[in-house]
Amino acid sequence: MLTASLLLPLFGALIIVFLPKDREPWIRGVAVAAAAAVLVILMAAWLRFEGTGGFELVETFTWIPTLGVGYIVGVDGISLPLAAMTAVVFLVSVAYPVDLKGRAKEYFALFLFLETASLGVFLALDLFLFYVFWDLTLVGMYFLIGAWGHGEEATRSALKFFLYTLAASLVMLLAILALYLSTDPLTFDMAEIIRQRPLDGSGWLATLVFVGFSFGFIVKAPLVPFHTWLPPAHVDAPAPVSAVLAGVLLKMGTYGFIRILLAMMPETFQRFAFPLAVLALVSIVYGALVALAQPHIKRRIAYTSVNHMGYAVLGIAAAGGLLSGAEEARTLALTGATVEMVAHGLITGALFLLSGSIWSRAGTFEIDRFGGLASRTPGLTLAVSVAAFASLGLPGLAGFVAEFQIFVGTFGVFPWLAATGLLGILITAALFLQMLQQIFLGQRPPEWDEWRGLRPVEAASVGLLLALVVLIGVLPAWLLAVIDTASRAFVGP
Amino acid sequence: MTEALLVLLPLGGAVIVLAQRSRSSAAVGLTVLLATAALASFGALTAEGPVRIAAWREDMGWILALDGFGRIMAVLVPLVAAAVVTYAAEAEAEEGGPRLISWILGFVGAMELLVLAGDFLTLLIAWELVGVCSWGLIGYRWRDPTRPRAANQAFLTTRFGDLGLYVAAAATLTATGSLEYSALGALDGVTLGIVAGGVLLAAASKSGQIPFSPWLFSAMAGPTPASALLHSATMVAAGAYALIRLWPWLGPVEWFGPLVVGIGLATAYAGGIVAALQSDVKRALAGSTSSQYGLMFVAVGVGGTSASALHLVTHAGFKALLFLGAGVAIHAAGSGRMDRMRLGRSLPEAGVLMGVGALALAAVPPIGAAFSKEAIVGAAGHASLLLGAAVLASGALTAFYAGRILLLSFGPEHETVPGEALAVGAGPGGEPSRAEGGPRRGELVGMAALATLTLALSLVWLPGGRDAAARALGAGPLADSAPWELAVSTLLLVAVAVALYSLWRRGSLFALGSTDSIREGLAAWLGLPTAGRLLIVRPVLALSRSLARLDDQVIDAGVRGSVAVAGAVSQLLERWAERGFDASVWTLARVTASGAKSSMAFDDLGFDGFVEGVGRVTGAAGARCRRWQTGLSHHYYAVAGAGLLVLLGAILIWS
Repeated sequence: MLTASLLLPLFGALIIVFLPKDREPWIRGVAVAAAAAVLVILMAAWLRFEGTGGFELVETFTWIPTLGVGYIVGVDGISLPLAAMTAVVFLVSVAYPVDLKGRAKEYFALFLFLETASLGVFLALDLFLFYVFWDLTLVGMYFLIGAWGHGEEATRSALKFFLYTLAASLVMLLAILALYLSTDPLTFDMAEIIRQRPLDGSGWLATLVFVGFSFGFIVKAPLVPFHTWLPPAHVDAPAPVSAVLAGVLLKMGTYGFIRILLAMMPETFQRFAFPLAVLALVSIVYGALVALAQPHIKRRIAYTSVNHMGYAVLGIAAAGGLLSGAEEARTLALTGATVEMVAHGLITGALFLLSGSIWSRAGTFEIDRFGGLASRTPGLTLAVSVAAFASLGLPGLAGFVAEFQIFVGTFGVFPWLAATGLLGILITAALFLQMLQQIFLGQRPPEWDEWRGLRPVEAASVGLLLALVVLIGVLPAWLLAVIDTASRAFVGP
Repeated sequence: MTEALLVLLPLGGAVIVLAQRSRSSAAVGLTVLLATAALASFGALTAEGPVRIAAWREDMGWILALDGFGRIMAVLVPLVAAAVVTYAAEAEAEEGGPRLISWILGFVGAMELLVLAGDFLTLLIAWELVGVCSWGLIGYRWRDPTRPRAANQAFLTTRFGDLGLYVAAAATLTATGSLEYSALGALDGVTLGIVAGGVLLAAASKSGQIPFSPWLFSAMAGPTPASALLHSATMVAAGAYALIRLWPWLGPVEWFGPLVVGIGLATAYAGGIVAALQSDVKRALAGSTSSQYGLMFVAVGVGGTSASALHLVTHAGFKALLFLGAGVAIHAAGSGRMDRMRLGRSLPEAGVLMGVGALALAAVPPIGAAFSKEAIVGAAGHASLLLGAAVLASGALTAFYAGRILLLSFGPEHETVPGEALAVGAGPGGEPSRAEGGPRRGELVGMAALATLTLALSLVWLPGGRDAAARALGAGPLADSAPWELAVSTLLLVAVAVALYSLWRRGSLFALGSTDSIREGLAAWLGLPTAGRLLIVRPVLALSRSLARLDDQVIDAGVRGSVAVAGAVSQLLERWAERGFDASVWTLARVTASGAKSSMAFDDLGFDGFVEGVGRVTGAAGARCRRWQTGLSHHYYAVAGAGLLVLLGAILIWS
C-alpha cells in the first residue's frame, strides 16, 4: 500500500513522458490525478492504521542483503500525518497555475518525481533508503527552482540551495555510515537500529555522530545560523515549488531529529537537548525579528519558516530533554512539534501559493507597492488573512494547536526557554498584521485598479489547505490521537 | 448542550450574515442575539454541571460551565450587544452593515465562550478570539490607513497580555496534569504565584489597566457601535471577569490582592484625570472605562468579587449607552471635540438618554450604578479606611468628568463668555448639520433600551435588594458600605455639582483654565503611548532592521566565505573535474544520441516516440550538465569530491 503511494507519482511521470508535448491540459491532468491518487491511498492507510506505537503497514523487499540494505517502508504516528500532509501539499501545488515556460512535461514529471522522493523520506524505514530519498529531493528541487524560477538569480539561488544542503547531507551520510558500522550484525534497518541502539551515551563517536546528524538536520530545518540558503531559494522559486520547499522539505530536518536522533540515540540526545533548545529559541526570536524587517512578501514568509521550525525543534528538544519524568509534558511537546510540522506545511503552503497568485497579477513582491487590495479582491484578502492568522497562532486554526502544546509541554522541561519563546508569537503577530495592513487595507494605488479575482483552481487549492487548517484548529482530536500513539511510545517508560 | 449552543448560535449567525450580505442583516443579528440571551437565561436556570467536549483528546478540550457570575454575564453580553445592533442597524447602514453585524455577532460568540470557559485552554482560545474580533471592529473602516494601524496596536498590546495566560496554563498543567480551574486548588507557592501573575498580566491588558491603557484610545478608531461593545460587556470586561472567576483560587497568593488593588487604584486615578482633561468625547469615555475597571480591580483585590461583578454589570449598561450617545453627538456635530457640541436644545431625546448614562457614571443615587459603586467603597473600606477614602475621592473625580461630558456634549447652548468660541454653533455650516444629523429611530431605541436597563438596575436599592443581587451574582456576599461613607459620597456629589456649575457659568468647563497643549498632553494618557513608542516599538523595529542587515551581510557572508574557500580547494581538483565529469557527460550524451539515431530505423514498430523521448530527455540533461560546467559548478565538484574523500577515509578507519 505504501509502496503504491511511492510508485504512483513515478508512474504518472512516466505517462507524462509519453504524452505529446503540446497537450498541456492532459499533462497537467495526469499529474493532478497521480497526486490525488497518492492522497487517496494515504487516506486508506490512515484508516488501516491502528496506533500500536510501533511501525505499521510495513512492506519489505530484499535489496542488497550483503550490506544489510533493504527496501523497508512503514509508518508510525509521526510519519503517517507527515506523509498525508505531503500528499495534500503536493496535490494542491501540482494543480496550482504557474508559468511553465513552455516546458510542461519536464515540470510535471519532475514535480511527481519530487513527490516520490519526499514521501520516501517519511516512509523509509531503512537508513540507506532514507538517505537515497533525501538526496533525490535535492536533485528534484534544484531543477525546479533553477529552470522554472523567476528572477535573474534563479539558477544561482538553486545552486546555493543545492550546495548548502548537499554539504549538510554529506555530513549526514558520514554519520549514517558510522552508525551503520557500529551495528552488529551490520544493518541499515531502522527498527533494528532502534532496538540495538549501538551508539548511545557519551562516547566520542556517539557525540560525533550526533553532531553530524544534527548538522544535516539543522541546515535542512533550518535553524539559525544555517538558514541563509532559504530566503533566496524561496524568492526565486515558483510559488508551488516554494510551497513544497517550505511545506514539505523543511520537515525532513525536524523529522530526522525524531526518527533518528530521538529514537536511536536518546541518551546522547538528552545531553544535547538543552543547547538544541537554546538554538531553537534563538531561531524563534531571531527568525521572527528578521522577518519583521523584510520588505518583500516571500522573504518575509520565508523567515517565518525559520521561526516556526524553531518551535518544532523546541518541542522535540523538550521531549528528549529528560530520560524519565514529566512524561505528560514531554508527550505534549512532541505531539505539538509534530502538529507544528503538519500545520506549518499546510499554512505556509497556502501562504506561498497565495504569494504566487499575487506575483502572477502584480509581478512584484514589494510589500510597500501594494495597498487597499481588499476592495478589489475579497477572496484573496480572506484567504491570506486566514493563512496569516493561522501562522501567527490564532486559536481555532491549526498553528495554535501546535504552539500551545509545544509551549505548555516545553514549560515542563525548560520553563524559561518556553516563556521566552512566547515572545515569538507576539513578533509574528506584528509582522503578519503589518503585512496584511500594507497589502490589503488602506488606500489602493491606482496601478492595481485592474486586479483579476482568484481563479477557481486557485481558490480550490488554497481552500483545501485552509479547510484543513480550520478543521485541525477546531477539532484536532482525530490528528492528535494518531500522533499521540507515537509520542507516548517515544516518551514512555 | 445549552452551553455549546450559546457559543455556536452567535458564531453561526455571524457566518450567515456575512454570507447573505442582505439588507436585513441587522434584523437577523438582533434575532440571533435575543435568542442567545433567552437561551442563556434558560440555561442559567437549568444548567447542571460543566459540559466537556473532548475536542483535543480525552482529557483536553473545551469545558463549558454556566455557573456563578457566568450566568449573569452570559445573559448580559447578548443583551447589550442587541441594543448596540439596534443602534448600528441604521447608523452604519451606509458603511456596509453586514460586515459590522457579523463582527459583532462573532464577538458575542467568542465572549460567551470566554464567560463559559471552565479551563485554561478554553479560556485562552476565547481570550484570543475576542482579541481578533476587536481587531476586526477597530479596523472596520479599513480604507483609512490609520484605522487598521490602530487595530494592530490594540491587538498587539492585548496579545502581549495573552502570553500571561499561556504561562498560567503551562504552569497549571505542569504542576497538576490538568488545565481545569479547579486544579488550581492543588497548587501553592511559586507555581500558584506564576499562575496568578500570568492571569493578572492578561486581565490588566484586556481591561485597559496601566500600563496597557492606551490601547483603549486606539480602539476609538472603530465605529461607535464597536466602541460601545468593546467598552461595556465584551473585551474590557474579560479582564475583570477572569479575576472575579479565578479569585477563589488566586486570592490566597499573598502579593496578589495588594498588587491588583495597586494597579486598579492607579488606573482609576490616571484614567479619571485623562477623562476629565479630554477634549474628545469618545476618548473621555475611553479614559473613563479604564478608570471604572480600575475600581473593579480594587474591589476584586480586597476580596469584594460581588461588588466588582455588580459594578461590571451596571457599567456595561451605562457605558454602552454613553458611547451610543456620544456617537449621536459626533454625527450631529461632525467631530468629537466637545467644545463644538452643546446639542441639548436640538437633540433633546438623545440628551435625556445620555443624561441617564451620565448620572449612572457619576453614581448618583438611586441609580443602580451608585449602589455598585457604594459596594466597592464598602469593600475597600472594610479592607482599610485609607483605601475606602481613596475610592471615595476617585468617585468625586468620576462625577466631575461625567458631568463635564454631559454638559459639554448635550448641555444647553450659552454665550456667557465671548472668549470661548462655539465654532459650529456660530458658523453657517453648523446649524443645518444638526438638523439633518439628528438621531434616527433605531439609534434612539438602542439607547432607550440601555437606559431602561440602567434604570431597572436601580431596583437593588429596594430592601432586600442587596441579598437578592448577591444571590443572583453568585460571587459571594455583597459588601455593605458604612452610613458615613454614603453621607460623604453624597456630600462629594453636591460639591462636584457646585464646581461644575461654577465652571459652566464661567465658561471654562471645556478648557478648565489651562492651555490646550498642557491639557491635551496630560490627556494623551499622561505620555504612556509616547513612552511605549520610544521604549518598545522603535527599539524593536530598529533591532529587527539591524538583525536583518546582520543576516544579509554577516551570517550569509560566512557561508559565502566558506564557499570561496571551497572554491580555492577546488582549484586543485578542477582539472580532474573538468576532464572526468565533462567527458563522461559528453560520452553519455553521444551514446544516447547515436542510440536514438539508430533506432529511427524502427519507426514502423512505433518505438520511436519512446526512444526519441529518452534521447531528448538525456540530451537535455546533457546540455544542462554542460551548462553546469560554467559559473559556480566547480564548487559542486569540490564539495562532492571532498565529501567523497572524507567518506572513503571514514570507511577505511572504521571498517
